[in-house]
Parts: sequence; structure tokens; C-alpha cells
Amino acid sequence: MMIVLLTMMTTVVAHAQYAGYTPLANMQNFKTQFAATAQKTATIKSDFTQEKNMDMLAEKITSKGKFWFKKNNMVRMEYVHPFKYLMVINGDNVLIKDEQKENKINTKSNKLFQQINKIMLDCVQGSVLDNADFKTRVFEGKSAYLIELTPQTKMIKSLFKTITITIDKKDNTVSGIDMMEVSGDNTLIHFTNREINTAISDALFSTK
Amino acid sequence: MRFLVLSSLLILLLVGCTPVYKNLHAATGDIHHIDQFKPAYSVALYNTAVNVTTHHLSGLLLVKTMPDSSVRTVFSSEMGLKFFDFEFGHDGSFKVNYIIKQMNKKPVIKTLRKDFDLMLMRRRNFSTAYLRKDGELVYYVFPQKKGSFCYITNAVGDSLQRMEIASRKKPIVVATMQHYNNGIPDTIGITHKNFKFTIELKKIER
Repeated sequence: MMIVLLTMMTTVVAHAQYAGYTPLANMQNFKTQFAATAQKTATIKSDFTQEKNMDMLAEKITSKGKFWFKKNNMVRMEYVHPFKYLMVINGDNVLIKDEQKENKINTKSNKLFQQINKIMLDCVQGSVLDNADFKTRVFEGKSAYLIELTPQTKMIKSLFKTITITIDKKDNTVSGIDMMEVSGDNTLIHFTNREINTAISDALFSTK
Repeated sequence: MRFLVLSSLLILLLVGCTPVYKNLHAATGDIHHIDQFKPAYSVALYNTAVNVTTHHLSGLLLVKTMPDSSVRTVFSSEMGLKFFDFEFGHDGSFKVNYIIKQMNKKPVIKTLRKDFDLMLMRRRNFSTAYLRKDGELVYYVFPQKKGSFCYITNAVGDSLQRMEIASRKKPIVVATMQHYNNGIPDTIGITHKNFKFTIELKKIER
């Protein structure tokens, strides 16, 4: 009896992990579909809202900004409120501009940035399922898929427990990224007003 | 002659050992007057720039007073990653709730703890504190195990000019807190004198 109860409890816990989602039945189908959409996605323009939740402190830091992606390997993330912060990824080059300084990083010489760079690009390009740095599980809900990434490398493992990517079923694009930190905090980035394949100038991704 | 050399040496030694603020003029007044500049944090978020030697790090510093009166200082990157979470207990205690591996070094924690202690106006024992002055300024000196914490106001006492952590001989940290609004300073600057390390905080209106 005890064993049955325990098994039931574990099952409930495993399922309660993502309310409204069940493990995906046909992974291959999802992979093909996801990759096909990614293949067709040349640009993404979107607004974003970021929520950093510090449960222990009953505190939440909300910031907003704009996001751009252009094939291949170009991302611009610009925070506009309540602080200004800019990150541009262009291939191996990263430009970071805070309110005081500009920092140029070549990810070839910075392993952590290289991995973060890869996560960012993998997420928006749909290649995340093939990233060997993570163990992936996919769940399906009514209107979205969830890709759960569990870090396998020491460096990322020391920072994140899991990273969860929400894919909107409507257009198969990323609508949210949730980073669960080892510290217990989480940071949720929610993408809204997504525009796919509109013309975006290369100049936006200049890291010079 | 030998006596003269000896006494000069002794004088030199004594002068050399005189704590930095002791050389100022004695002053009388209410030492608690300095309390008006103690930041009254409920919660505040600061845009933060840290420069250590040639490295530059920016992020957000959250300062929050918890229901148990402890004060938490939490530093994270703009993109959300937490660097550290320090807890300053009402009873003077200190606890590291979290720190990333890259920063988890005793001297780093000790230095940051002292800087926050100065900023939050902790470690003040009023029974050993004393006042000093020079022409323009009043010094509120709080002796520590080693050296002292010192808060310096203008002569009238309505403006906090700077704060210092001093060794016996010289200030090793100089900090400022400016533009108070509802008891919370808008701009904070901390500069270390013995190595290239600065922290600049600018309050974010959320």
C-alpha cells in the first residue's frame, strides 16, 4: 500500500511540474515541424517583458525591451525600461552596452559567453534540440509546447537548474524562456507582438 | 645626542601610530546627529557599475528591508542572473545566502560586506564613538577592531560630505551618498584607495 501511495505521489509530482502539459508522444514529428518553421524564419522582431522572481525576498524585477533576430546568428536584445542595456550577438562577436560602458567580447576567447551565445541562438533558430550541452524533454499543452533543457556541462550547471522554452503552437515560434537558477530564483522572458520575416537591417546587429 | 635620536624616533613612532582622525580638533555635540543620514530602506533598486582593476561589471542591486528587520543586498545581471545575496541581520550578524562560484572568495566577500556595512551605517558602537572637527567639517568616528568607520558632515551638519573606512593611518575606502529622497540616497559611490575598485549606484525609478 505504502509503495503504491509513494508511486502515486511521485507520478503526481512529475506531472505537476508543468501544469497543463503532458510528455510529448511523437518527438520526431515535433522535431521536423519545429525545424521546418525555423528554416523558414529569416527574421523575428518582437517586444519582450522580463520578470526576475526572487521568491525568498517576495520581490520581482520587471524590465521591458525590444528583440530582433536575423539569420544567421544575429540577435539584438535592447532593454529600454526601467534601465537601458543592450546586447548584440553577431556570429562570434558580442557587444554589450550598459549605461556606463561598451564591452566587446569575442566568444571564441570566452567559454561562458560562447555557451550563452549558443543557447540564445539555438533557442531562436530551433536547433536547441540538437545541443549536446543539454538533456532535453518536450511536453505538449493545449496551445504550446514546452522544451525543458537540463544543463550537462559543469559551467552552465553551476548557474541554471533548467531552462524552459515555450513554443506557441500557432506559429511554432518561441513565446517564452524561463531560466531556473541554482539559487532558486527564476527569470522569465515573455515575447509579445512577434513579427516574423519582416525586413530588418544588418546595421542593427553591428558589434563595431 | 643618543637620547635626542631616541626621543625623535619615539615621537615619530607615536605620531605614526596616531589614528588618522585623532589629529583633528576635539569637538562636542550629539553623535546621534549622524543618524539622519542612515538610509531608510524599505526597498530600492540601483543601476550598478563595478570596476575592478581593468574589469567592468554592470548589473542591478536590490536593497530590501525584510519583515524581520534584516537588510538584503542582492546583485544580479541585467539579464537576470544572480551574483550574490547578502543578509545583514538586525543584530549585526551577516550571512551569505548565495554567491556564484566565480565570486565566492573570502577577501571578495569581506570587502563587499565592509562596504555595505559602511553604506548601511552598521557597526556603529556609540559608547566608543567620538566627534572631531577641522575648519569646515565634522567627523563622526566609530572605532572598529582595526581602524574606524567615519561619517563626515559639513559644519552645520545638514549635509553628508563623505564616509570613510580608515586604517590607523589613512582612509582606505571613501564613499558618498547623495540626493536623499524619502530617506533613500539616489546616488552612491564607493572608492577603494588601496587598489582599483569602485562601485557606483544610481537608483532606478520603477
